Amino acid sequence: MEFAFTPEQEALRVEVQQFIAENVTPEIVAELEDTGIRRRGPKTREMYKEIAERGWIGISWPKEYGGQAGSRIDQYIVEEEFARAGITVGGAGSGAPAILAAGTEEQKQEFLPGIIRGEISFALGFTEPQAGADLAGLQCRAVRDGDEYVINGQKMYTTAAHYATHIYLMARTDPDAPRHRGISIFLIPMDTPGITVRPLWTIQNDPPAPLGTTYGDNRTNETFFENVRVPASCLLGEENQGWYVGAMGLNLDRVGASRYLISIQRDEDIVNWVKDNDIEGYAMREDPALRDRLADMWIEGQVCRLMTMRSMSIVETDGNFTYEGSAEKVFAPEHGVRTTETIAQMLGPYGQLLNGSEDAIESGVFAHNLMGAFQSGINHGSVQVMRDQVARRGLGMPRV
Amino acid sequence: MPADPVCPVCKTVINEDSARATTGQTMYGANEVDPNAGTRSFFNGEWYYFCTLQCRTRFLTAPNTFIES
Repeated sequence: MEFAFTPEQEALRVEVQQFIAENVTPEIVAELEDTGIRRRGPKTREMYKEIAERGWIGISWPKEYGGQAGSRIDQYIVEEEFARAGITVGGAGSGAPAILAAGTEEQKQEFLPGIIRGEISFALGFTEPQAGADLAGLQCRAVRDGDEYVINGQKMYTTAAHYATHIYLMARTDPDAPRHRGISIFLIPMDTPGITVRPLWTIQNDPPAPLGTTYGDNRTNETFFENVRVPASCLLGEENQGWYVGAMGLNLDRVGASRYLISIQRDEDIVNWVKDNDIEGYAMREDPALRDRLADMWIEGQVCRLMTMRSMSIVETDGNFTYEGSAEKVFAPEHGVRTTETIAQMLGPYGQLLNGSEDAIESGVFAHNLMGAFQSGINHGSVQVMRDQVARRGLGMPRV
Repeated sequence: MPADPVCPVCKTVINEDSARATTGQTMYGANEVDPNAGTRSFFNGEWYYFCTLQCRTRFLTAPNTFIES
């Protein structure tokens, strides 16, 4: 068992840090903070193109689909450094791992190189108003009609729907089958006739969260599907096997730098801030009680990190990866909640000031995270559902 | 011409044209609608219109209470 990064991996980390220092300009930060074109301004697109040309997106993917056939740990290092700068460098969410595992050769050729080039991205179309934690209760319907499917229904909290090229949609294809067995997944272009998007605004909307806020977006969406006709080639995996494809994709997507950093980045930030700053002449770094709290946060953060590393190690060696991502998805978000509460108590009134306030600390990032930390325990699989998965898959308990 | 739908919870008449009117497009070509013009839900194969998300939430908690036979 080796817990250290190799010299080559440390060199890769330095190379990425240098790239960020030289290329993440104030203009790009402004584009990234623009809530209207979030992550997709022209300078940002140019930067993503250069990141892709360096081979830093999809490092662990096979070469025939544009990847490097490299290490998942290398990919983690790249994602971690960019995430610290507030920039997502991933594989288009749950879509990519699911396509790699269950896609046809045509789908892999169609989507994976495009994802690496930054030309294709997915909105996640799973949750419905009455089917979130109980996802298997979804009602969105896909009916086979010759060489096509006709889709009717709606999705809720489709966060990227306003800037994604495609939606990664879960729909019911056999309403008579047991709940988990009549579901399929489709990869559908957003400009397909019959798709309608309705904005929903989150607690991060006013004022918009600064770059680096790790929780939530200012906008999410409802997405409606009304007689949406798609070719049968949009089906990912076998018909009625979508539950298993989707669960596998979600589980793999929960592993990695982004998920881990969401929960621990503020730990690092507050430690750095406290080292260099006082509040009204009070040096918190010298207060034994606060130092204990910071030490506790750091210890928990290390647990988050080790859980992530273990999961990636299992994925890297093609091990039996089932409940580990769920366990991380319980511990890390709840650590994030504890952390943001601790930071709020430490900073007092200054910790409540949002972006734009004159006395806001670090552009209000701690206050924005205080609002958003609870989101992380709900989205992408609630901690209650995750605990149930750990109980069933990890501890062998029956489904109830 | 069919009558405008009625919110099954609070019985407000929903202007279906407004609820469905396109106000713009997403970056990659899906139509967008006005978030203030009501919402809808696909339930048991039918579209139901609501004046607010609150009404829809109440509906989905106990739909049979609100669906007229």
